[in-house]
Amino acid sequence: MINPFIYFLLFLKASLFSTGGFSNLPSLHQDLIANGWAKESYFGQSIAIGQISPGPNGLWVISLGYLTFGYAGAFLALIAITLPALLVLVVSAGYIRIEHRTWVQGAMYGVSLAVIGLLLSVVWTILHQPGVDWKGLLIAAGAFGLALSRKVNILIILGLAGLVGYLVYR
Amino acid sequence: MKLQDPRPSKWQLFRIWASVGLQSFGGGASTTLLIQRAFIEKHNWLSIEEFTHLWNLCVITPGINLVALTVLIGRKLGGVWGIVVSLAGLLLPSATITCLLAATFKQIENQAVVQAVLRGVIPATGAIMLLVGWNFALPIIRRGHKEGVLYLLGSSVVIIACALAIILLKISVIIIIPGAAFLGGLFFSPKPASPLSTKEEQGEKQ
Repeated sequence: MINPFIYFLLFLKASLFSTGGFSNLPSLHQDLIANGWAKESYFGQSIAIGQISPGPNGLWVISLGYLTFGYAGAFLALIAITLPALLVLVVSAGYIRIEHRTWVQGAMYGVSLAVIGLLLSVVWTILHQPGVDWKGLLIAAGAFGLALSRKVNILIILGLAGLVGYLVYR
Repeated sequence: MKLQDPRPSKWQLFRIWASVGLQSFGGGASTTLLIQRAFIEKHNWLSIEEFTHLWNLCVITPGINLVALTVLIGRKLGGVWGIVVSLAGLLLPSATITCLLAATFKQIENQAVVQAVLRGVIPATGAIMLLVGWNFALPIIRRGHKEGVLYLLGSSVVIIACALAIILLKISVIIIIPGAAFLGGLFFSPKPASPLSTKEEQGEKQ
């Protein structure tokens, strides 16, 4: 059974300790799996749904909310990603005073390194989904090449990957 | 230069943000571009310098940067109600669609065709995520060229250590981020008044 209050707090915590739309994934992955509230496959599915729907990338959490806990989950997820953004009002009030201290710049640099590390762990989590075999890894490599070239729209890349999946795995 | 348009009404602000949200497919970069077009180029409510400053504040705020940016622009153009209608405009329509797509998916997920398509799409989302990380890494690599091999090496070690700490040791993100901030403050703070710094005098404002 999902406890809505703890469920909400887990989403809020993940959002509070993340920066950018995807770096909340490792935290949610750790907590939801540990509680038995999410299946491993939900994470890849949620990100795929998030990519094909409009809005900022971070809305992938809405579909994770729906897959794990229905409409209530989607709603709680929406609140959990909205509230931390209000902290920017505090940040904008306080930042002016400390932005030129050198340690602040160093610390911000450290955070940006951690964000890349987090993203790498997200990639690892997705490519370790059940159902991703060596053919899947080839699809990933092809998709990465296309995306890196910047000539092909992300939606088209996802469409092509889906087509290849259909042809290979049906 | 074009004159600034009059301040938007609540309803106009809501509509602009809703159209930004609904038009942005494929994530962050396209959303940012749409915001720049609407608020800087079309209505002239913000300058690009102002936009960049607001964006920097959002990067160091927890959570989704674009949502924080929505809060700041909303406040500038309409105070507290500006924040409310801007957030509602950006998030409600697109979140509703995301939720309905997830619901549709749940209905059809057991069909063999859907399973097969998904086995192609999911690795591709992993690849897109890798590209997001790569884009974040580019400025670091560029900076590394200026600061030297040791800098680049140290940065790579921190990145890989963070990734391995999560994947292998399953250490909580709550520990990783402050830990990396601490390491950054310790090892990567710009040296005061470095004679080699060409572009900016980093030491001057200590």
